[in-house]
Amino acid sequence: MTTQNFTSLPQELQLATSAHVKYIQSLDSRKDEYDYWLTEHLRLNGLYWGLTALHLLGHPEALPRAETIDFVLSCQHENGGFGAAPGHDAHMLSTVSAVQILAMVDAFDDLETRGRGKAQVGKYIASLQNRQTGTFAGDEWGEEDTRFLYGAFNALSLLGLLHLVDVDKAVDHIAACANFDGGYGVSPGAESHSGQIFTCVAALTIAGRKELIDVDRLGRWLSERQIAGGGLNGRPEKKEDVCYSWWVLSSLEMIGKTHWIDKEKLTNFILSSQDTDKGGISDRPGDMVDVWHTCFGIAGLSLLEYPGLEPVDEVYCMPKSTIKRVLGR
Amino acid sequence: MPPKSKAATKPSKSLFPPTNPTTTTTTSIQTTSSSEPSTEPTTVLERSQQRYEKTRPFEAARQKQGGSSKLSKEDQKGWICDQLLHLTNRLPQASRSRLLGPKASKEIWWTINGTNSIDRGLTKKPKPHSTWGTDRNGHDVGSYTIERFDERIKKRTALTALLVSSRVFRENVEREKRGDLDARSGCPVIVTEREIDDERVRRSKMAALKKELYGEITGKLAGSVEWEDVVPIPHEEPEGALAAIAYPADYAEAMSYLRAVMATKEYSHRCLRLTQHIIAMNPAHYTVWLYRAACIFALKLSIPDEIEWLNEVALANLKNYQIWHHRHLLVEHYYPTIASDPEALAQFAKQERDFLIAILSEDTKNYHVWSYRSWLVGKLGMWEDQEELKSIEALIDEDVRNNSAWSHRFFLVFSNPEYSTPGKGATEADPKCPQHIVDREVQYAQQKTYLAPQNQSPWNYMRGVLVKGGQKLASVHAFVEEFVVKLGDETGEEIRSTHALDLLAEIYAEKGETEKADLCLRRLADKWDKIRAGYWNWRRQCLQSEKKAGPEQPGEEVTVA
Repeated sequence: MTTQNFTSLPQELQLATSAHVKYIQSLDSRKDEYDYWLTEHLRLNGLYWGLTALHLLGHPEALPRAETIDFVLSCQHENGGFGAAPGHDAHMLSTVSAVQILAMVDAFDDLETRGRGKAQVGKYIASLQNRQTGTFAGDEWGEEDTRFLYGAFNALSLLGLLHLVDVDKAVDHIAACANFDGGYGVSPGAESHSGQIFTCVAALTIAGRKELIDVDRLGRWLSERQIAGGGLNGRPEKKEDVCYSWWVLSSLEMIGKTHWIDKEKLTNFILSSQDTDKGGISDRPGDMVDVWHTCFGIAGLSLLEYPGLEPVDEVYCMPKSTIKRVLGR
Repeated sequence: MPPKSKAATKPSKSLFPPTNPTTTTTTSIQTTSSSEPSTEPTTVLERSQQRYEKTRPFEAARQKQGGSSKLSKEDQKGWICDQLLHLTNRLPQASRSRLLGPKASKEIWWTINGTNSIDRGLTKKPKPHSTWGTDRNGHDVGSYTIERFDERIKKRTALTALLVSSRVFRENVEREKRGDLDARSGCPVIVTEREIDDERVRRSKMAALKKELYGEITGKLAGSVEWEDVVPIPHEEPEGALAAIAYPADYAEAMSYLRAVMATKEYSHRCLRLTQHIIAMNPAHYTVWLYRAACIFALKLSIPDEIEWLNEVALANLKNYQIWHHRHLLVEHYYPTIASDPEALAQFAKQERDFLIAILSEDTKNYHVWSYRSWLVGKLGMWEDQEELKSIEALIDEDVRNNSAWSHRFFLVFSNPEYSTPGKGATEADPKCPQHIVDREVQYAQQKTYLAPQNQSPWNYMRGVLVKGGQKLASVHAFVEEFVVKLGDETGEEIRSTHALDLLAEIYAEKGETEKADLCLRRLADKWDKIRAGYWNWRRQCLQSEKKAGPEQPGEEVTVA
């Protein structure tokens, strides 16, 4: 089953590109929606998810570039870190999203001239590393999670400042999060979880230390995420969810084992989770759409080489063209 | 009013308005509609409009006719006189007489006097919406009936009275702060409890009246005496921001007060209450949690009490992870106070476990709860705690498919510092691990496998244990075979677990029986687990290349014939 024949898919199971573009564009006008203000602490992250999806759909211009840059810079603090929205305290996750957004719209110069500059951002991220354990906190209050470790590596490598942190210690910490089933958890001893696996594998890839991964065991565990309906779940005996199309698939890509799942079935599952009228993708067919699942559903389809999509970088979850421009590879 | 004539009869300044408007001098006014018998006004607007027309008949007529040029000659003159009167009325006598000679003054008075334009005339014609404004429902107050309007006036008066008293109270609060002395008694000004209570009542009355009259909603905090001294910091939204948000009023108000107290680094009980208030509206706002923790620590409040409160919030917000980080911070803070007291430690561990059991019964696989639980085991050293192990077993009994419980068991047993080598890889054999533990765990996994053979958790577990114990997979060959019946048989083949078949392939490979291993993998790829054909075929390829002792080709796609 090596060839994908997308033209043989029925009309309903095609990617509704223009609907998705409109959906993402409409997001910033849904200001009175209750859910929208409840997720204010995710606003900058939301912008990253929306922008990534647009770039992969081939419509990077759909969000206004100047306003995007203005908004991102307005979230920056004295210490270089970015908050989730203007007035919100700086946090690792929003800082990473900020760097990714600026990379995609090619605005590092603006960061230098109008923002606090790359060096200051790097300094902020580096300050969040726990120098004893090697792991990273999300903010000054110290919640530690391998997501922050991956985020730090992601942003610092894009800024060319990975040397600011103790990479080896961080790598040791990741190794300590490895489990008996081949997977990785949020912290040592925690259950293997696809999301955490992605962060650990991607961080190891950026650090050039993939040899620490038990590839066969992990690949086996990841392949087992695909359930009968074709979708992927996050842990054994859990429901399938479109966002795992990214976390699991990109992990498989990084260890070179994407052929260990049925790609066509996964493609069908993602496409069935679209709202082809109003746009957007949900966690599984029939549920409400949101920008998070839209981003990762499209990223998953890009990894599956769905025609018409820009290639996505499996480590950074950004367009390969951006990574090529920023890192020169 | 007597017919106008230039005869020198002294005009008498009429003190009374004409009883019948039809007796006014000018015929055209007579014929305009304002001279029709007046109907009783039903609304305030009508009343004022009638009054306007009575007292400013020339101006009213001019407006109605559409300009002074449309008026009759007499009415034009009347209008000019009315205008002159109004223009000069407020001037001092001397200036007035300079502008208007005695003859002109007399004439003006003759013309206008009966209308009482100056005494009772309205300067502007009453208009809907603009004269009295709109009420809270957007209706023109001018459209109110007279009675309803009077009631409104009464309420406005009451509100004004309350505002005055409230201002007195606020001034007294300021004076008390400054240490001012009361002018009469000479003693320092104090604000009594009674006065505060009275002010509270007053404030709620004011808020109610404001809402009724103007639809204004007074925020709970802005209206409360407790927050009197704090100037809230409203949210700064950059102009035309991408993705701007409209907040509900309550939340916006509470956040503006939070910003204010965070700016001054106030850690007090009222701040604690404020964080609780905000958390109730938006438990995902992480800054609020961090600030709450700061208050708890600064006020040196009882951590167990806070945890009790937190339990309720956790049960109501199962998907929230800030709650668990908050708990983590609390326990970190609390631990040093009980670390040297084994009884207190045991007691605390039990309390924690009881709650974890309760919340897991609501959401058995909650990742944040489980990762907190594994952290707690390490922090409180619960490795040998039999209750912990029993609790996990109970969960697995309830649902053998609970992978989180299996994962926690592995951690509890094999990360026990008693028999684990620090730094050993998770999938590496650990010689420190005692055989009896390995045997016990393998047994346990096998028992549970029978309950649901296709459930992957006990299979992963058993395999993980064997690897940890450095034991050959073949040691469980007999067990695995129980799930694979008549392998390769066209009609009678029965596979009760694909995981068994997977493990069987590994066992055959371990034993060097490559053909049988290949058969297992082929059956998986072709029939029993087609969705993972890519993986099974890769395994087959590995077998072949191991046989040839050649290098593996990772990542190569295999075409299935």
